[in-house]
Amino acid sequence: MTGPGLTAYLIVAAVMFALGLYGVLSRRNLVAIVVSVELMANAANLNLVAFSRFGGHPQGEAFALFALALTVAEVVVGLALVVLASRVSGTLEADAMSELKG
Amino acid sequence: MPLAALSILLPAASFALLALVWPLRHTGKPAAWISTAAALGALVVAVMTLLDAPAMGEPAQVWTMPWLVRGGRVIAEVGFRVDGVSALMLVVVTFVAACVQVYSLGYMADEPDPALGRYYTWHSLFIVAMAGLVLAPNLLQLVAGWELVGLCSYLLIGFYWRKPSAGKAAVKAVWVTRFADIGLMSGLVLLYVQTGGFDWDAPQATAMVAALLFIGVMGKSAQVPLHVWLPDAMEGPTPVSALLHAATMVAAGVFLVVRCWPLFEHADALLTAMSWIGAITALVAAITASVQTDIKKVLAYSTCSQLGYMVAGLGSGEMMGGYFHLTTHAFFKALLFLGAGSVIHAVHSNELGEMGGLAKKTKATAVLFGIGTFALAGFPGLAGFFSKDLLLEQVFEAGQYGPLAILIFVAGLTPFYMMRAFCLAFLGKPSEKAEHAHESPVVMLLPMAALAVLAVVAGYGGGAFAERIGVEYAFHVTPVGLVALVVGLSGLGLGYAKYGLGKLQGMEIPALATFVRTGPVDRAWVFAWERAFKPFAGGIGWFDRYIVDALVNLTGWAALEAGDRVRTIQSGRMRDYLYAVALGAVLVAAAGTFGGIAG
Repeated sequence: MTGPGLTAYLIVAAVMFALGLYGVLSRRNLVAIVVSVELMANAANLNLVAFSRFGGHPQGEAFALFALALTVAEVVVGLALVVLASRVSGTLEADAMSELKG
Repeated sequence: MPLAALSILLPAASFALLALVWPLRHTGKPAAWISTAAALGALVVAVMTLLDAPAMGEPAQVWTMPWLVRGGRVIAEVGFRVDGVSALMLVVVTFVAACVQVYSLGYMADEPDPALGRYYTWHSLFIVAMAGLVLAPNLLQLVAGWELVGLCSYLLIGFYWRKPSAGKAAVKAVWVTRFADIGLMSGLVLLYVQTGGFDWDAPQATAMVAALLFIGVMGKSAQVPLHVWLPDAMEGPTPVSALLHAATMVAAGVFLVVRCWPLFEHADALLTAMSWIGAITALVAAITASVQTDIKKVLAYSTCSQLGYMVAGLGSGEMMGGYFHLTTHAFFKALLFLGAGSVIHAVHSNELGEMGGLAKKTKATAVLFGIGTFALAGFPGLAGFFSKDLLLEQVFEAGQYGPLAILIFVAGLTPFYMMRAFCLAFLGKPSEKAEHAHESPVVMLLPMAALAVLAVVAGYGGGAFAERIGVEYAFHVTPVGLVALVVGLSGLGLGYAKYGLGKLQGMEIPALATFVRTGPVDRAWVFAWERAFKPFAGGIGWFDRYIVDALVNLTGWAALEAGDRVRTIQSGRMRDYLYAVALGAVLVAAAGTFGGIAG
């Protein structure tokens, strides 16, 4: 078996996760935040698949498939919420939605 | 419950009735009759109690119920203790109280009805308090009664509350006695610490307890330098002065010493101090009495002086002399005050200068006041003679020659100033006011007559008195007694020669008189207050404000400030929380990697 080793996959996944985290923390646009969350979720999925392939356990891949399905559902709900929120507040700015702040 | 309890319960019922049923109190006269009837009832009960009291050697009749209970142990009881000492004092208190209440029916007749009702309400309370003090089975109840009579004293001194001076005098009486009560309270606490109870005959108690209690006694019984409140207390109605500030309440201090005699008996240093304090009080007050122009002030300082006599007598280590003198003094000094009240009633003035020649207009009062004067002067055969003779004899036998010399000198000074007061009031040329004087009604003369009878015969009861309190006594002529008698008679003669006949005009010491009239002790207290008490209180106040309060405030401030800082973490912005979560995750990961938690 040739090609990059486990470490390469893990590094890519870590970079993806860090980018996602950075996006969530730094972006103000709700859509961008949702996309960043997806990036972090897929970094986790990449880890699962990589460990499964190099560890020889098929459960990891099965788990990743389930996670993908869940992620799709989550994106649907998340984006629906974003649309609703932007309609209510008239903006996509996350920081502007602070009406419940004490 | 013993019969003696009725002497508390009757006035208590009267007090409750008058205090709670205000229409009754506001009608005046009926209130007076109810209170007087209760007082007379208490007197009858007290006399029956005395006749029935356990004689020498028998155990006291004690009836108590638990008061303070802690963990199943009774710390203090409340109740009645009837023995010779308490039964005698009970008779003195109720007798004078009954006389004064009857007398007040006449003396206070011109008062508005609500004021009269108020007056008799406090009088009923006073008998309750004083009888509770006298019959107390332990020191705690005695102190409770002590505080209550202090309250009655305050209320009755301030009876004419529209007069600013009366209000001031009432407050002064409270302050001075409270100051002294610091000692009394400390003594009470120390007694509890040392003995675990409040019994005055507990053998574990030390002389320190007695010394602290004696500070309270000095306040209540007006010993120098804490006597300053007593002359001011004359702002109250004259019958009040007779009852509280001559016969009974001020004698409560002396009574406390008699009652707690087991504590005092063997405290030799304290007894010596008592002799000196008493003798100095007797001297200072007698000198002051000699230059007063207000007839009530003369009697007030005289009371102070005689209280000094009693304390000095107790200082001899024998209690009979002091206690006997307390009893006889109660009768003739109450008589003198009631006589002074009768004179004041006649001329509407307290000033001796506005009296004079009253003997013609008010014969009965003059005779009765005269009996009181001679009894106080220690004229042979009258009550004061026997008690003073015994007292001086006991001081002599205790070997306290310094106090003895002072007391014998005072035995000459006392007749002198009393003769002066008598001559200025009753003899000589009638003043303008005295021309229109009229004799007091029978309701005032009758109680005076009753007191006068006792002022004459009480001295002959010495033997029975001694038997009741368990000591031996028989009158006999002694050298000390003879010296005192000669000194006393010459004082009487000098007083009559100077103020009755108008001779010996060069005898005054103007400088001393002026000095005494300025009230040196009062001024010393004011000075001490300015220079010592106020800075001391200021220092304590500073400590409280800037140390104790500062610590408390600092704690509160620190909590507020810390909260202020910490709450900024909760910004309400999602991003900040996520930062925290991410930081936490990194820390956990770092701990897992480098800290070796997993391994």
